[in-house]
Formats: sequence, structure tokens, C-alpha cells
Amino acid sequence: MSLPSGTRNYTYAQDMAILRTKTHWTLLIGFLVLLLAAPLYLGNYWLGVANLIGITLIAATGLNLLIGYCGQLSIGHAGFIAVGAYTSAVLTNRLELPFLVGLVCAGLMAGIIGLIFGLPSVRVKGFYLAITTIAAQFIIIWVINHWSLTGGFVGIKVPYASIAGFEFRSETSQFYLIIGIAALCTFFAKNLARTRVGRAFIAIRDNDLAAEVMGINLLYYKLLAFFIGCFMAGIAGSLLAHWIGFLNAEQFSLTESILYVGMIIIGGLGTTIGPIFGVVFIRLLQQILTVEIVPFLERTFTTLPAGFATGLTPILFGLVIVLFLILEPRGLAHRWALLKSAYRLWPFSY
Amino acid sequence: MIKKKWLVVASALCLALMLAMLPVLGSACGGPEEKTIKVGITTPSTGPAAEKGAPMGHANLDAIKYVNEELGGIDGHPIEVVWLDNAYDASKVVTNVKRFMDEGCVLFATSSSKMMSAVMEIANRDGFPGVVAFNAPVLHRPPQHIYGQMPDYGDDWTAFARYYMENIWKGTGKPKMALHLLNNTTGYGALDAAKAAADELGIEILPPEEHATDTISEIESLTRIKGQNPDVLYISSTPAPTAVIIKNAVELGLYPGVTIGLGHAGITKALVDIAGTDIVEGVYGVFPTVNWGDNVPGMAKMTEYCQKLHPDDYGNMDYITSWAQSLIIAEILRTAVANVGYDVLAKGGKEAWQAVETQGIQKLNYDIGGLHGPVIYTPGDNRLSKSVRLFQIQGGEIVPITDWIEAPLVKYEEFDWFGQ
Repeated sequence: MSLPSGTRNYTYAQDMAILRTKTHWTLLIGFLVLLLAAPLYLGNYWLGVANLIGITLIAATGLNLLIGYCGQLSIGHAGFIAVGAYTSAVLTNRLELPFLVGLVCAGLMAGIIGLIFGLPSVRVKGFYLAITTIAAQFIIIWVINHWSLTGGFVGIKVPYASIAGFEFRSETSQFYLIIGIAALCTFFAKNLARTRVGRAFIAIRDNDLAAEVMGINLLYYKLLAFFIGCFMAGIAGSLLAHWIGFLNAEQFSLTESILYVGMIIIGGLGTTIGPIFGVVFIRLLQQILTVEIVPFLERTFTTLPAGFATGLTPILFGLVIVLFLILEPRGLAHRWALLKSAYRLWPFSY
Repeated sequence: MIKKKWLVVASALCLALMLAMLPVLGSACGGPEEKTIKVGITTPSTGPAAEKGAPMGHANLDAIKYVNEELGGIDGHPIEVVWLDNAYDASKVVTNVKRFMDEGCVLFATSSSKMMSAVMEIANRDGFPGVVAFNAPVLHRPPQHIYGQMPDYGDDWTAFARYYMENIWKGTGKPKMALHLLNNTTGYGALDAAKAAADELGIEILPPEEHATDTISEIESLTRIKGQNPDVLYISSTPAPTAVIIKNAVELGLYPGVTIGLGHAGITKALVDIAGTDIVEGVYGVFPTVNWGDNVPGMAKMTEYCQKLHPDDYGNMDYITSWAQSLIIAEILRTAVANVGYDVLAKGGKEAWQAVETQGIQKLNYDIGGLHGPVIYTPGDNRLSKSVRLFQIQGGEIVPITDWIEAPLVKYEEFDWFGQ
């Protein structure tokens, strides 16, 4: 990684550190202070949006490990999130097990189901693998809808998350729980990408034949990528279940799966910061269009044909994404890298 | 140079802080506020259910406009609507309802059972009262803080099945009824009722078939149904998939032949427009409101507003449903203000929610100008109106064929299979 002019590393520990300058630390601390103080200046609604962003980020980080780092295309991520959500719901509601047991089991169950649906990745890749993961989406949702344990079409209630007798009832307490776990997952993903496992993932993504020739066990690492990616989806699902309080299979649609892929593409594939940018961008865009812009247009331009402003939402949403992909195909992470580079080389950026 | 870098970092931090403080500053800089009562309304005005959600959203807002402009609001206080599109998307409706709670709304309303099922637990946890137009048993059994404006999809099935047995079935033994259900609470609400009452009514229920909102062909499922020689096919779904199913039934020669009945989410002008007049001729349906042009006191004003503000929606029965929903909301607020005063509601939050529920909703006894059955709260039954009517599509028109039928309360939670 490049450092600002004049900054040198003198030990291996310094060279390996994620945060290597005082500026890094200052920015991180500033960001964390802003983040952790959010309940002081955000109302329940924006905290709810932040919680949704946090949950989505966990799932998108897992998907980014799978697609962005390991190159295994998956279009069934919402299905794996559903596995985690329902596992947690069944364990905490029907069996009355503690939330933490539900959370961990949700991750493990989604990981195992991900492993099973990841098996075809040994033989197929690209669009063919995408089709098998779409099948996963449909099979999982069908099973949920037709299994009495999950409540079928009626759905299932989920109690509040609780740890050691403390119930996460308020939006604020849920915010700290979700953001805490999201931070842990991001930190884990960042470090995983710098390990032997991460390098193996990248080698497989770039050229799986060459990777195999170099001694990388394709079966092991591809399945590991599926397990980790789906484990995180399961964790996200569990948090979603306890946050909303009621599950219905319709909350995990194919559209949502496709949106997850869109998020990591817009954020920047194969970077740790990419999912953060992509998730924040898409979720905020959805909220701002729905909550701010459309009601504003409906109020202001009363002569517009009925429903015109409302119809603008999907049009604007699609347009922004298309323009974004045309103007910045390498994602927001690339724009962020350019910004950092300009700062690092300033004032001699040439 | 180092100083300049620190300057840049400090500036970035300041900018971030300023951005973060914007909501606080914004709220502090408002001008003098009108004394309003806030309600939250969310409709699927875009997305896969927009053919129903868009006119329903228009009707909600048109009726509130009428209440504010012609009836003087609620005891002189205008109703302020926080209206949000949910695009039939569960994650959007969750944040929508949190927004309503945050903005000081005293109750909220949705049009679809699917959207309400995604948020009902959030509302129930906090005691935030909600009114849902299209209603399924799971939303209010056991009763908590969600209220069905009208009878639920299970009540539709019961009303149709009773009518079928009394007026249409002329054979011997048990008629065979096939069910084609939307794969959510809209469809499976009807199945709940069939499980609860089919034996008592003497109807044999065939294994149900299900479909999705975006289905484009149901030939396969209808072929299975045809193979079982049903006497009657009941569809509980929204207009677009219902149109597909009926078209496919005609193609297979299943219809005409069997009797087709629809739940109230399916029988609307949109169905006739999508499927075509000839295809749906003779189809029966259950709907809990009157039809356009009926001679009831509430019709003239609704027609006037619809033709003035949203003429394209004229003839759409979903418009009637949501117009009535907004009038019920106004009546709830009027009752609550009369019982506890404006100040309690103005505060918003849990005290206001409780006041609206116990002193507004639970004190309702309202004749809604004949637009649908009377709105009366009965303890233990969160359906506010309990009456439906049978309709039949004749020459492209949806024509009423019965008077109001009272739908009895079914305590689904007492059945072991409910929720399984």
C-alpha cells in the first residue's frame, strides 16, 4: 500500500498494519466518534435506516468475498440470508434458545447450505454458476414457504435480540448491536483478504487454472468462499429477523439478491471498502427517492399527471445506477482510491 | 506542508460534523407550525402491485383533502398526511413505518396485507396502531394493535362458499373446490378459512395450487386442477395474476364450465381491463365495498373528488376502499379528540398511540355513508367492518348480486394448524 510522501515503515509490524499514519488514526477515530454518537443526533427513522444499512453491509461483505475476491458469481444471496433469518427465528421462537445461539447457528446453517449450493462451482463457473445459485434462491424460498416449522406463508414471529438478560428493544440499542457486528465482519473481511486464504481467493478469481497449477486446492478454497460468504449472509439474516420481529419469505426476493450484486459492483468489487460505499449509496438512494424526492414532487408539481412523480422513483433509481456504471465502472472504491492518491501526492500530484 | 494536511483533515472532520448535524439544525429552524394531527399512510404505488396501490394512494390523499377542506379537519385541526410509497418492498415499508413513528404520526395505514405483515410486529411491539385495508387473518389473530378496515381474505372465502352452496350448487354430494392462491397472506388467508369451515359447509377442498404475483402462465397448475374435475375454482390473488389464471382456464376449456369465485384483492376494474371483458364474463367475486354509481349517501362526494383529481381511477373499486379508509381514519381521530382532547394527540408518541387506540378505534361506531358495511369495534375482533357482498362480472361491469353478508368472527388461533 502506498504511503504519503516522507512516511516510511521501519518494522514488519508497521508494514502490515492497516492503519499506518496518524492521519489514518485521526480519520478513523473521527469517523467512529461520529458513528457511535449517531443516536444523539439521528431520530428513530434514520437509525432504522442505519440499521438496515448495517445488516445489508454484513451480507454484502460476505458476497464481496465470494464474488469480488474469489470470483464465484452468486445470485441467490437473499436466499442464504433467509436461511439465517429463519434458523434464528426457529431457534429463538420455537425452541426458546438464547439469541447468541441463534445468531451463531444462523451463520453456520447458512454457511452449510451455501456449501451445498456451492458444490457445482467445482465444475461450472460464470453464468452457469449464477444459474445454480438462482436455483438456490428458489429452492430455499419454496422450502420455507412449505415447511410448517417456519410458519409457511403465514410467517413467524421473532423475539427481540437479548444478551445476558439485556433486551435490544430500542432502535438505539439495536443500532449498537448491528453496527458492532458489521464492524467486526468488515474487519474480518479486511484481514482475510490479506491472508493466505485471501490470496488464494484472488488467484482463483484471476485464473483458476493457473491457481491450481500453483498448488491451490480449488475445491477447498471455492467451498470455503461459499461458506464464509453465506455465513455472513446468515448472520445478517439473524439480525434482520430480530430487528423486524416478523419473517415472511417474501422479504427475501430474487430482486433483493440482484440488488446485492448491484451494491458490490457499484461499491467496487474485490475491495473491503467497496461494499460499504455500495450499500450506503443504494440504501440511501432508495430512501431519499422514496421519502424525500417523490413526496416533494407530488406536493410541488400538482399539475403533473396522477402518479407521475411516484413513477419517477424506479426510473430515477435505474438511471442513477446506469449512469454510475457508465461513468465509474470500477466502483466508488476506485474513486476513493483516486481521492486518497491525490491527497497522498499533494501538492505534486503529477 | 504538514500543517496544511492537518488543515485538510480538520476541514474534512468539520464538514462531516456539519453534515451530521443538518437534521438537528433543520428541525430547529422551522417556522411557526400549524396545529395538525399527523397520520402515516404507505401504499405500493410503484412495484408489482402498483395497479392496486396507485389508485389506493390517490384515494387516501383525496379523502383527506376533502376532510380538511370541506369538513374543517378534526375539530379545526387539519390532518397532515405523511405519505410514502413502499413499492411492495418489505425493507422499504419497515423504514416507512419507523419514519411515521419518528415524525409524530398517531396511527398509520397500509393498503396491502403483505406490507402490513412485514411491519405488524414493529407496530405491535411499540403499540403503534395500524389500519390495513386488505386484510388477512394473520394480521389480527390474535388481536393486538393492527386493525382490519374490512373483513379478511378468509371471510371472502366463507362468504363465497356459503353463496355457492345456497345458490349455485345443484348437484349431489360434496362439490369439489379447487383453490388457486397467491403465495402470500392474500392467498393463504383463504386457505385458512377453507380449512376451518369446508367440512361444516359440505365442500371438498382439492389440494391447493399457488402462484406468484409475476406469473405469466398457469397452464401447468390448471391442468392438474382440471384432472381432478373440480366444480368450482376459487382464486385469492391480485388482478394481474388472476387475469392470467382465468385466461389459462379459458384456454384449457376449464372455464366456462366450472364456477369461478374471487377474493376481494382480485375482483376490480383492473381485472376486467387486463383480462378482457369476454374472458371474465360470469366470474363471481366478493368485495367489501359498494360499486361506483350505487345509490348511497357517500357516493356523490367521492365521485366528485375522483373525477376532479384522479379521473383515471373512476370505476376502480380499490379507490372506494381507500377513500373509505381515510374517512375511517378521520373518524378515529375525531372520536379520540372528542374523548381525550387535541393536546394528547399532538404530542405524538406512545401516549397518543394508546389514546387513539383505546379512545378512538375502540370507540368506533360509524356509518361510512354506505360505502361499505358499518364500522363498529367489537372487543376481541379487530375487523372494523364485518360485511361483504357478492358481485358478478356481467358485460364488463362488476354488478352486485347480494345484499351485505355479515362475516362471522373465526378465532383462527384456536386451530392447531394456524401459523404452521
